[in-house]
Amino acid sequence: MSQTLYDKYGGFASVSRIVMEFYDRILDSESVGDYFENADMKRLIDHQTKFIAYLLGGPADYTGDRLEQLHAHLKIKGADFDEMKEILEGTLSDHGVEEADCAAVMAEVEARRGLIVNPG
Amino acid sequence: MSIEAINEQLLRAIGAGVALVDPGSLEIRFHNETFSEWFDEVKTGARLSDLLEDLDLATLRQAIEENGRYDSEATLRRKRRRIVVALSFTRTELGLILLEGQNITRIRELETMIETYSAMVERNTREIEREKERVEKLLLSIMPRNVYEEYKAFGVVTPQSYDPVTVLSIELVDFDVKARDLSASVLVSEINDIFASFDRIGEQFNCERIKTVGDAYVAVCGLPEPIDNHAASAVGAAVRFIRYLSRRAESHDMSWQCRVGLASGPVIGSVVGVQRYVYDVFGPAVNIARSLRSLADPMQIVGGNLELDQIGDEVTILEEAPSFHDGAVPVRTCRLVST
Repeated sequence: MSQTLYDKYGGFASVSRIVMEFYDRILDSESVGDYFENADMKRLIDHQTKFIAYLLGGPADYTGDRLEQLHAHLKIKGADFDEMKEILEGTLSDHGVEEADCAAVMAEVEARRGLIVNPG
Repeated sequence: MSIEAINEQLLRAIGAGVALVDPGSLEIRFHNETFSEWFDEVKTGARLSDLLEDLDLATLRQAIEENGRYDSEATLRRKRRRIVVALSFTRTELGLILLEGQNITRIRELETMIETYSAMVERNTREIEREKERVEKLLLSIMPRNVYEEYKAFGVVTPQSYDPVTVLSIELVDFDVKARDLSASVLVSEINDIFASFDRIGEQFNCERIKTVGDAYVAVCGLPEPIDNHAASAVGAAVRFIRYLSRRAESHDMSWQCRVGLASGPVIGSVVGVQRYVYDVFGPAVNIARSLRSLADPMQIVGGNLELDQIGDEVTILEEAPSFHDGAVPVRTCRLVST
């Protein structure tokens, strides 16, 4: 069985740091932070833990339907999706994720653009 | 610098939020920077009730009065974040209430994350357990339980000799003709129904199904646990296979008949294959049973080397004829029908 990025980068112990950092950077972002203005902390962390674990091949079961359902009401613009990608890429990179692995994760995120972007 | 001034500097510098509260008016008399940051700005004289709207003032007063201390937790809004602060109120010797606050937001965030992660892992564990059960069920359908236990523990199965046992080898009459005429789904459904019934009958007579190959059904009586009356049990099962097919023909559109070959003797049981595991039995009894079934007329049993005095009265011996040889070795055969 091939090793997932989740295992390669140290499982939950490392991924939890990536999740917290991503969570902080997203909230601090001028452009996308507003989407989380009234978000419940528990739900947001729950969502991001699952999302990052899912992207890295960890123990998460996130379907496309669920992603679409979670983001539909936010009316996310394409530029904001790009910003979110940039934040995630920076976070992964700063936590030692290799360039090729980063690119693979970003390709996975990009593949889900249609489920998340919905300018309304 | 005076001691008082040093104390004040220290209070201002520490990471915890600190304030001194008037016990009567519950107004802030002093606060440090950290405390102030949680509320954007706090002025001396600000009322506790304005800063901490959810704080139960009556309970606070009562607890301070009775115990000199009160602990609580508050969620504060700061820009986009919600800050969770653990608050501890203590009555001091000066008469003021010392309010200490610890920012426990990150602890709560991590708790939430661990909660989510645990739920994910538990869910995965449940799925793995279910998958394990499916695999176990599948393996138990192709090998006896004790063989499976050995395989699970050691990853290999030692070939085992079983002596004596009785092998049952059954084939359906005119299967090839029916296979040509019937649709694949009807054929498979019929075979499935018949073999599932054979399994149920066989179980009652200690017969372990080993395999099916097309229309051929092979079972062994006396394996994995040896039994004394293996021949009688095998005959009992064979008689019921035949009776079952007779009764089935009365209520089904399609009528099936079978020929049964039985042979007593030693067999070796083992798992064979590396990528694809098959539990199989080998030995003269297996080959003789297979050869004898083709000598049987429809709905008859031909037995080889059976202990006839074991057999009982469920069958009638039509003939005893030493007419069959396994290589150069003569086989005592008998032709049986259900009584």
